[in-house]
Amino acid sequence: MIKSQKEKIQRVLAGLFSIGAFLALWQWAVVSTTLGQLMPGPITVITSFIQAFSVPIGTCTIQQHVGWSLSRVMIAYLVAAVVGIGLGVLMGWNPKIEAIFKPLYDIIRPIPPIAWIPLSIVWFGLGEMTKYFLIFLSAFSNITLNAYEGAKSVDPVLMGASRMLGANRTQTLLTVVLPASMPFIFAGLQVAISTSWATVVAAEMVRSTEGVGWVIVSAQDTNDMNQTLVGILAIGIVGFILATIMRGVETRLCKWNKSE
Amino acid sequence: MIECKGLKKTFQSENGAFEVVKNIDLKVKENEFLVLFGPGQCGKTTILNMIAGLETPSEGIVTVNGKEVHEPGPERGVVYQTISLFPWLTVMGNVEYGPKVRGIPKEKRRATAQHYIDMVGLQGFEKSFPVQLSGGMKQRAGIARAYANNPIVMLMDEPFGALDAQTRYLMQKELERIWEQEKRTVVFVTNNIEEAVYLADRIVVLANRPTQVKAEYKINLPRPRNYVDPEFLRLRMEITDAVDKTL
Repeated sequence: MIKSQKEKIQRVLAGLFSIGAFLALWQWAVVSTTLGQLMPGPITVITSFIQAFSVPIGTCTIQQHVGWSLSRVMIAYLVAAVVGIGLGVLMGWNPKIEAIFKPLYDIIRPIPPIAWIPLSIVWFGLGEMTKYFLIFLSAFSNITLNAYEGAKSVDPVLMGASRMLGANRTQTLLTVVLPASMPFIFAGLQVAISTSWATVVAAEMVRSTEGVGWVIVSAQDTNDMNQTLVGILAIGIVGFILATIMRGVETRLCKWNKSE
Repeated sequence: MIECKGLKKTFQSENGAFEVVKNIDLKVKENEFLVLFGPGQCGKTTILNMIAGLETPSEGIVTVNGKEVHEPGPERGVVYQTISLFPWLTVMGNVEYGPKVRGIPKEKRRATAQHYIDMVGLQGFEKSFPVQLSGGMKQRAGIARAYANNPIVMLMDEPFGALDAQTRYLMQKELERIWEQEKRTVVFVTNNIEEAVYLADRIVVLANRPTQVKAEYKINLPRPRNYVDPEFLRLRMEITDAVDKTL
């Protein structure tokens, strides 16, 4: 689908308009209604957010908090991606591997990651490992499921063609099943980056001394609504950027999949 | 060269065993262009798949150059009806796929691939992805990919079935030109009589349900053939009549 420059500009303007209208409504509500007694308006929050780049909240500035959270997400997400793609593709490709691992995976999959918090604290303590574990779980299940669906849906004609051209079974797996599953895998990776980012906030709220989740928890302890909203703003912006980056990577790597 | 002895294929269905292919005996000589011709849903593709090694016969054996066929192998090239190009690879990537998985060094396989890309007339499209090609160009790439492995046998399963009439004529001419240039033993499946008479050295007419050999025709017309030559039209009529009786 090719969009004209004009349509693109119109879309961006429409988005900016709705965000602007939301902020205006918020500002109006804070100034003109009792909402002002409960929480600050957008001007105050955005000003504090910008200040937080130089004035630390707790021990870190806001970009350092984001950095901490991002590094936790990245480590756990990468491990989840490797394990999830590997397990998912193998299960979709080989009926024996599917028979062994799929039932166990199907039982673990519907458990929300935060349900593991008590167990993971017992297993890994209150340090970084618990956070990695929870983020890993949240990313792993989506990535595995999509990789599995992708490998299941590979056109058998393509696998036959690869075998006829002289590829052995491992080569068929690596050069046909894996690339053919890529659009599915990327759909999973995209959902997983969002759930990982959501889970790091939950994990940091359990116990930490830094990170965006900590910004919100510490604000709750001191009843600081302004700091809560600064934290939420940071989470929203970073989440948006991560999703945009993932879409960009997908568009580049799965160029072949976009017809016309 | 290719020999099928007593080939049978039965599938199990809810209503019991279902015989698709019955007692096929076929011999294809070296560099012969053999066309398997038969009505729509008969087991032509099943026969081809058994020669390819993609399906196992229920009874009987297939040998290629005296060696029994049990599994797919690069000495048998396949060109499919449906688009079987790897959509994530460029034309070059597709054509060099066979030599690549067989461990041919990059420079050598590139040269081979380029030779066949030129031969099918796709020079300039090496870096295009399949979605960017027309139907005829995709089949050209499919033919180049099969040739690049230097197979001794080419198996073609209605390769032009999905093309529009104009492109189909053009591709028939192109295939003949390519085959004259680099001869291979070909087994070509089609349900289009004109295509069969245009391309074949020999046509094997198959009857339906279960699929079995109905008749054979040697086509001795000089190449390249003319679709409206009287002898061409007479043969076309004769074979059509024979097939109509089997339906």
